[in-house]
Amino acid sequence: MRAALLACVLAATVPAVARAQTYPSASPLPRSTAVPVLRALAIRREITTRFALALRDQAAGHWSDAAAELQAVLALAPPEPQGSTAHYDLALAYAHLDRNAAAARELQRAIALDPGFLAAMANLVAIDLARGDLRAARAAADRFVAAAPDSARALYSRGIVALRLGDAATARADFGKLLQQSPRYALAHYDLALAEEHLGAYASAASELSIALALAPSYARARLALGVIYLREGHRAQARAAFLRAAHDAAGDPALRNLADAMLAAI
Amino acid sequence: MVSRVLSRLLVLVLLLGVLFCARVAWASALALQTLAAEALVPSAAPALLGPIGATGRIGWNCAPEHAAGAPTARGGELPGTEPKP
Repeated sequence: MRAALLACVLAATVPAVARAQTYPSASPLPRSTAVPVLRALAIRREITTRFALALRDQAAGHWSDAAAELQAVLALAPPEPQGSTAHYDLALAYAHLDRNAAAARELQRAIALDPGFLAAMANLVAIDLARGDLRAARAAADRFVAAAPDSARALYSRGIVALRLGDAATARADFGKLLQQSPRYALAHYDLALAEEHLGAYASAASELSIALALAPSYARARLALGVIYLREGHRAQARAAFLRAAHDAAGDPALRNLADAMLAAI
Repeated sequence: MVSRVLSRLLVLVLLLGVLFCARVAWASALALQTLAAEALVPSAAPALLGPIGATGRIGWNCAPEHAAGAPTARGGELPGTEPKP
């Protein structure tokens, strides 16, 4: 009886004991002793290891070390998708080292290898804007929107570039479409207002700014812009009130506060 | 004779005064226009999307690629939106 009971207990615990005996997953053993095959495996492993080291360096903010690792990856001529990814990550490292021209070149190489690489397109627009190359930024943004017409980042980026280039019509279309997908995004209402103002549609501009302020009441820049619109329409008292409120809301932004104060002094 | 000289002098002073006021008004309008242009600046560009691992952008867990293609402002990690948890 006792023996039978012991046997039952042992039988019940064997699966648990077996489950406890876990072993870490091992790398698959090479199935060949041919030198070219082993060399290819070694290179593949080196690429993966250097990628991991580069990401670790980037997470720690060691951009020069990350760049060195990624340059070593690229020297091994990695296949896709690792090639375009290495160019993309290297561009990030260069951007953080204030080497924006080099960053732009790496992103262009990434896109050349992988024409559908949306993250690379997105970063290229931002890098070209940071470099002040609006023409290149516009070309990159056009490509981004063509590749992902519904992407919020694509529409926003091209809208910003268009505003800086004075292309208010494109900016209006892009921010208008973005707001169809994200109607509560206050910044898009603000930028759409700038486009409307540039096109002379002051009433529409004021309406968009009012919506932006309803969504974000302490949005000082939108309040300041609304004051400018009121001034353009000849409503000096409303403009003055808007500038006063903007100066108050811009307490944490000295430059914006000074601008609001200057507008108050000028009217 | 003296009164004619005085009247001409008065006209000259008045003319100069009008010119001076016009110049001040024009300078104020220009300053206001400059300030208004400074006030109407577009929003900032989005921050750079983060790094991608060795598996590349095709992986299901490639956050930067998802953000690049997301249709909403929050999903696209645009400025002024809170990051996704």
